[in-house]
Amino acid sequence: MKIGIYVCTCGSTLSRTIDVPSIAQAALSFPDSPSVTTMDFICSENGRRQFEDHLKQEQPERVVVAACSPRDHETTFRRCMTNAGLNPYLLQMVNIREQIAWVTEDPDAATEKAIVAIRGAVNRVKLQQPLEKMQCEICPDVLVIGAGPAGMKAALALAEAGRTVTVVERLPFIGGLPVRFDELFPACECAPCLLDPLMGDLLHGEFDGTVELLTMAELAEVTGFYGAFNVTIRQRARHVSLHECIGCGACVEACPAATMNEFRNGTVERKAIDFAFAGALPSVPTLMEDTCVRSRGEECQACKDICPMGRDVIDLDQPDSILERHVGAIILATGAGLYDASLVTGMGKGVFSDVYDSCEFERMLSSTGPTDGQIITSRGTTPSSIAIIHCVGSLDPEHKPYCSGICCQYAFIFNHLISDRLPGTAITHFHRELVLPGKEAHSLAQQARHNQNTRFVRYESIHDLAVTATDDGKLAIHASGKLTTGDMVILCPPVIPSSGAGKIASILDIKRDQSGFFRELHGRTDAAQSPVRGIYLAGACQDPMDIRSAMLQGMASAGHVLAALKPGGIIDIEPITAEVDETRCSGCRLCISVCPYRAITFNHSHNASEINAILCRGCGTCVAACPAGAIKGHHFTSDQITAEIKGLLS
Amino acid sequence: MHPEKQKHDFEPKIIAFVCTWCTYAGADLAGTSRMQYPPNVRVLKFPCTGRIDPVFILKAFQQGADGVLVSGCHPGDCHYIAGNFHARRRFAAFRKLLEFVGVDLNRLQFSWVSAAEGGKWVEVVTDLTEKVRAMGPMHEFKDLALEEQWSGAINTPELKEAYNQI
Repeated sequence: MKIGIYVCTCGSTLSRTIDVPSIAQAALSFPDSPSVTTMDFICSENGRRQFEDHLKQEQPERVVVAACSPRDHETTFRRCMTNAGLNPYLLQMVNIREQIAWVTEDPDAATEKAIVAIRGAVNRVKLQQPLEKMQCEICPDVLVIGAGPAGMKAALALAEAGRTVTVVERLPFIGGLPVRFDELFPACECAPCLLDPLMGDLLHGEFDGTVELLTMAELAEVTGFYGAFNVTIRQRARHVSLHECIGCGACVEACPAATMNEFRNGTVERKAIDFAFAGALPSVPTLMEDTCVRSRGEECQACKDICPMGRDVIDLDQPDSILERHVGAIILATGAGLYDASLVTGMGKGVFSDVYDSCEFERMLSSTGPTDGQIITSRGTTPSSIAIIHCVGSLDPEHKPYCSGICCQYAFIFNHLISDRLPGTAITHFHRELVLPGKEAHSLAQQARHNQNTRFVRYESIHDLAVTATDDGKLAIHASGKLTTGDMVILCPPVIPSSGAGKIASILDIKRDQSGFFRELHGRTDAAQSPVRGIYLAGACQDPMDIRSAMLQGMASAGHVLAALKPGGIIDIEPITAEVDETRCSGCRLCISVCPYRAITFNHSHNASEINAILCRGCGTCVAACPAGAIKGHHFTSDQITAEIKGLLS
Repeated sequence: MHPEKQKHDFEPKIIAFVCTWCTYAGADLAGTSRMQYPPNVRVLKFPCTGRIDPVFILKAFQQGADGVLVSGCHPGDCHYIAGNFHARRRFAAFRKLLEFVGVDLNRLQFSWVSAAEGGKWVEVVTDLTEKVRAMGPMHEFKDLALEEQWSGAINTPELKEAYNQI
């Protein structure tokens, strides 16, 4: 086999320590007596041209370049190979600079070490095989799960770039959690106003034909992979046509059945056919089958009869539907929820009716909430003192070990709104830490500090606090022996992933961290990608975050999709992947359990594991794990590695 | 020429199996920082420590290595999410096996060296080299390799392949 060794002298950097003629001499004794060519600065423009010309002229079957670290120029030299008409994977580099010349003073020792390393590379390169990038046709369409800030931002960015997007939202309305809030930190903006442009674009914008919004819909099944997912979606019947309903509410008036409205803290009634809350978009009511009198066998068509748009708008017998979509990528934007504060003992949640968690209090502040925006106790009185307890279950190994990073900020928005609406109300913040990052968060906190009716009490552990009731029906907050009375207590529990995250994780077979958030490809450098190719993460399903971060991550995930799934529908598949030899596979499936990228599946008809080259990232963990030696790691085969070991030690 | 250069009777052969993302980069950093260490180490680069089959360690000893170093990303830093955890488990079991067959475990070292730890790489390599130098050459596996040549007595392709796999 004709092997060419190219030694780069890197100016005199290498030749000063390593004796290049000795390498040429030693190479004579290497297998197949490769030729040794010395060049200077192969990486330079001139050097690359010389190298390519030499390769074209000599046509070696395998090439070894002894030069700098492959981390510097392996790609450069692979490109030269391609330019010279050789397969780039028939090249092996030897790092005689960073790992030999620069770390070895003694020239004899350095030269000997270089010879040994080159011998290893020669042994190895003989067994290297030409590898080709594969191309695969993909579908450029995208599925977005969740129509909160992150999901809406991602969907609209993709639509703007001309992509077809399907948005799946579990609830009857869009806007996520914040659309139910009143004013937002840090700038006291009205939440629905802030979200309105996005919601408007999603519902009635110019992307009408390219963005499909499916409310009351959930993921049922996903097969396929990056570039070619087949998605099954189950959509519950709304019973009211989204296209024909004008949102007048006549049916609501006419409906005889009612139940408690979960979107108004479960303390106010809604009709069986009703809006989730005033202003919820799309502005079309939903018929709750369980509440409708027809579920009890009674005959009723009151809503249908009164609808001014005709008898076809409401379909009392509409079944749930199953929809199929084909997409190339999936963005998860399933959002957040709040930890159940009743699990933190002694806080009075679920015991006293005037102990609220922050989401309930947000709804109370909202004009579409249970009290139409009035801050009143369960007895209908105006509170004269309110306690806000921070970190209820946060930074607490018994509950959630992390800080959600947003609670202190909304606690100070509460402070601002309470003082604004009920001037003179005494407010006490019981806090452990105060977390106010960034350039804007401090201003509301400063406002609270300067508010003469606001008091701060720092506590060490949540066990130092207890909420009880006094004889006159007030609440009492005990903090390390001191007593504060109040009419209302607001608890700030940790932000947790929304309740549907577990189901989605199991459908997509992706991992969640200890706290249930979707695991990212890398927490710092790739927080908007999941480890599984083609599945991206946006918003609080990945980490507790505020609206700004969720919007940014929505854009980031859209950017990932646009960069990866290019128009024209082709993706390149890197050739350094693993491959199963079906005839040797015993079907133990150990490989499936060690693969972090969900790239391996079991083919029951062949009774063997199968590796999807699109999903495989070439780590080789399955190759080493396979007890039958049935998996080959391309470019890192056992034969190649063994040959290098022999070369390095002979 | 080099006054501080010491001549030793025995220069151990140390082979280092490292992952490309952390330890190989750490070794490069030692180079760009011009740190000096004994030339005894021969580095073999893997995509991930997860790719390192314990058989490679046996092969290295069999082929004449006196010491083997396996080094990858720190726990939690794996470029491939969890390859180093799989490697750690695998080697914990493998060390027991080596101990059972009578190999002095001081010849086999595992470490985590990050791309920022050029100094740690130098320390790990120097320590292992000096430790193995003091222990002297490793004979056990080499002798075994010499004795146990493939006889060809039971010459089926499967057996021959199985033999070569070990």
